[in-house]
Amino acid sequence: MAAYITHPALSSLCKINCNINAIYSLISFSRRISISSVLSTSAVTTESEAAGQGVRGQRRSKRQAGEPRTERMTVDQDWTAVYPTAASFKPSTVPLPVRMGYPVKRGVPPAKKGNLELIKIPNFLHLTPVAIKKHCEALKQFCTEWPSALDSDEKCMKHFPIQVQSKEFVSAGLSLKNPDARIVTLKVKLSSLNLDDHARKKMIKLGEERYCKDTDTLTITTDSCPLRQQNYDYAMYLLTVLYHESWKTEAWEQEKTRADMEEYEWEDSPSQKNVLDTLLRMRPLGAKDEVEELLGQPAVQEYRDTMLRLKNEGETEENLHKYKEAVKKLFNI
Amino acid sequence: MATSLVRQTKLLSIVSSQLNPAACFRNIHCTAACLKNRAARIREGKGDKSVTYEQAYHPHHIGHRKGWLSQHTSNLQGEDGAAERVVEDVFIRRFMYGTFHGCLADEVVIKRRGNLLVICAVMIQKLLPSKFYFLIGYTEELLSHFYKCPVKIEMQTVEEKVVYKYL
Repeated sequence: MAAYITHPALSSLCKINCNINAIYSLISFSRRISISSVLSTSAVTTESEAAGQGVRGQRRSKRQAGEPRTERMTVDQDWTAVYPTAASFKPSTVPLPVRMGYPVKRGVPPAKKGNLELIKIPNFLHLTPVAIKKHCEALKQFCTEWPSALDSDEKCMKHFPIQVQSKEFVSAGLSLKNPDARIVTLKVKLSSLNLDDHARKKMIKLGEERYCKDTDTLTITTDSCPLRQQNYDYAMYLLTVLYHESWKTEAWEQEKTRADMEEYEWEDSPSQKNVLDTLLRMRPLGAKDEVEELLGQPAVQEYRDTMLRLKNEGETEENLHKYKEAVKKLFNI
Repeated sequence: MATSLVRQTKLLSIVSSQLNPAACFRNIHCTAACLKNRAARIREGKGDKSVTYEQAYHPHHIGHRKGWLSQHTSNLQGEDGAAERVVEDVFIRRFMYGTFHGCLADEVVIKRRGNLLVICAVMIQKLLPSKFYFLIGYTEELLSHFYKCPVKIEMQTVEEKVVYKYL
């Protein structure tokens, strides 16, 4: 800027001549004119400048940087114009006197100019409430209202019983794609499907480990196809096939043995035979009773209930206690 | 302590030579190995060496008094590509050091936002602004073609290096 100060006449010339109102072009004009030594006054000063910077070996004049943008900022400016997108911290653009860093002994944290620590950290200067409001306004035109009829979770589950889950991955790298994003998980409650007893049991058997008994949910996870759309189609196809197959009854299903049963059934079980045996022996000689009558007795029914509970639910204090009571009633103790 | 050790070594060497007269002399090392850390450290000098904040604090201060120069998600659990990011970082730092030779005031900070590569640099006002603009464009173009991802340079300039203290 030294050239500018010592040549006021030149500078006015430059202002008339140059179209661009930049300091750089002004200086380049004045420099060129001074170096070509058109005017006698310029020649003397050029030499002194050159001598002063002879150490550098360059004939460039040291220009001064303009004032930072913070000096010209008003209090009510539009901040979204200063930081429209995510950007690193620029000290000449942020009008706050921020300091960051560990202070030297008996000193203060370093100032914001040239402070690498402030550049290193991520900042949210582009996410002020005003900026977020603007984002929302811009996005509103692409949004629709939530349907008013679906105001509770139960209604959502009733109308949309199948839940499909897939994950999106965000990471920093050369590629934005993640191979795990193709995995699709389909969850459905069997109670929401139209299944009868046989179909339900067959479906659970076909599902094997995909069925959770506690929540009554069938979970199908597909990841064999390369695209998420393909995996979703495959999962829906599997569900459809399972449903239709479980309604069909094959010929070989008649050969279902006691070992294949999911639940314990008291009818035709060794326990029933034993009870019948015991009751028949308890009868006085000569009396003939029908098997159905014997089995129809309330004590026997109670015994049947407790046996079912023990076998199906497991042995708990309560179940064992009820079993004891039933046996006592059976033997009229 | 030192003299007794020296005497011990002399004794040992005498003993070993007597036991094996044809063998050459082999002495043992009896001084302690210099186990000092020398990584990224500027040793304290006379008080005329100016250092920046980055140079003044040693690597064990990272996370306590210094931040990280390069940030990406590959170091998180279950993420991959950490080694590739490190190699990219090393190349970018060397490239910046060479392209803007003598102009860098401090280390280059590399940020990754999705697949956008942001290089933040603080420069000394050594070159003309037009030259800086050309070099920025050249770097962005070359690196984006090289890495097949958008590259942005966010540059700041200072008149001279920001001195933190003198060592």
